[in-house]
Amino acid sequence: MSDQPLYFELQFKPSVMLVSVVRRFVNDFYSEFLGDPDGTSRVALATHELLENAVKYSVDGATTVWIEVAAREQGNSGGREVRIGLRNRSDAANIANVERVVAEIREIGDAFAAYQKLMMQAAKTKDRFGLGIARICAEGEMEMDCKIEGNEVTLEATTTVEGGAA
Amino acid sequence: MQELMQVAGDEFSGSVRDEGEKLVVDLRGNADMHAIDPLEHMLERVHADAVRLGSKEIVMDMRELEFMNSSCFKSFVTLVHSAQELEEEKRYKIRLLSNPDYHWQKRSLNALRCFAVDLVTVES
Repeated sequence: MSDQPLYFELQFKPSVMLVSVVRRFVNDFYSEFLGDPDGTSRVALATHELLENAVKYSVDGATTVWIEVAAREQGNSGGREVRIGLRNRSDAANIANVERVVAEIREIGDAFAAYQKLMMQAAKTKDRFGLGIARICAEGEMEMDCKIEGNEVTLEATTTVEGGAA
Repeated sequence: MQELMQVAGDEFSGSVRDEGEKLVVDLRGNADMHAIDPLEHMLERVHADAVRLGSKEIVMDMRELEFMNSSCFKSFVTLVHSAQELEEEKRYKIRLLSNPDYHWQKRSLNALRCFAVDLVTVES
């Protein structure tokens, strides 16, 4: 385990197989680095869901994903902030859907309640969109931020993980 | 005991067997994007078979399921909802067997349990 900050970035064209490869790497690497199995699992889950969105909806495949872990303050035995981000280019319909879901979760104000609501909507349709983002927020215990510039989408999910001191 | 169905994706496999009053569904591997269609198809059949056979319970054994993405999770949500929509006498319970080493399961399966607390239980 380490109290130092850590930044990891990957630029690639994800495929279905590579998404799971990255998730497993994130899980294995951060298991050692963070010392918080639950926190690590949440980070890995968010990474997987964000990357799958990229595989499904990217217009050119080019994707940047990053994970930033803040340093633990000296003498602080509490949590550390983790930020997981993904940037890619998508089509207008998907961008509108992403904005809608992020706004809806924010408006409800309770990520788990929003997740249950989207689950109910999903149960009644063939539509799968939105459950991944809601899952990141609810199960991942993350705040989601979305920035749109033209057809470039940047999603950033932030959480706190525990873990013992080094 | 009778095996009703088997499915396999890239790194995912599932099987269903009839054990009298319950159907037991074994899920193994990695339920990623490759597993979406086979899993959806399997769970649709599980629901249909449970109704046809008058099953009292569906046991979902996820102890060997390393990960499940949200699209596959959606198929479980649909199954639970389908069970909720049945007339009371046809409604079956759903018991999820989980592995505490897979931390995502604690959260995902709890979300499923909260979706239908009268039908879904989680064991680890």
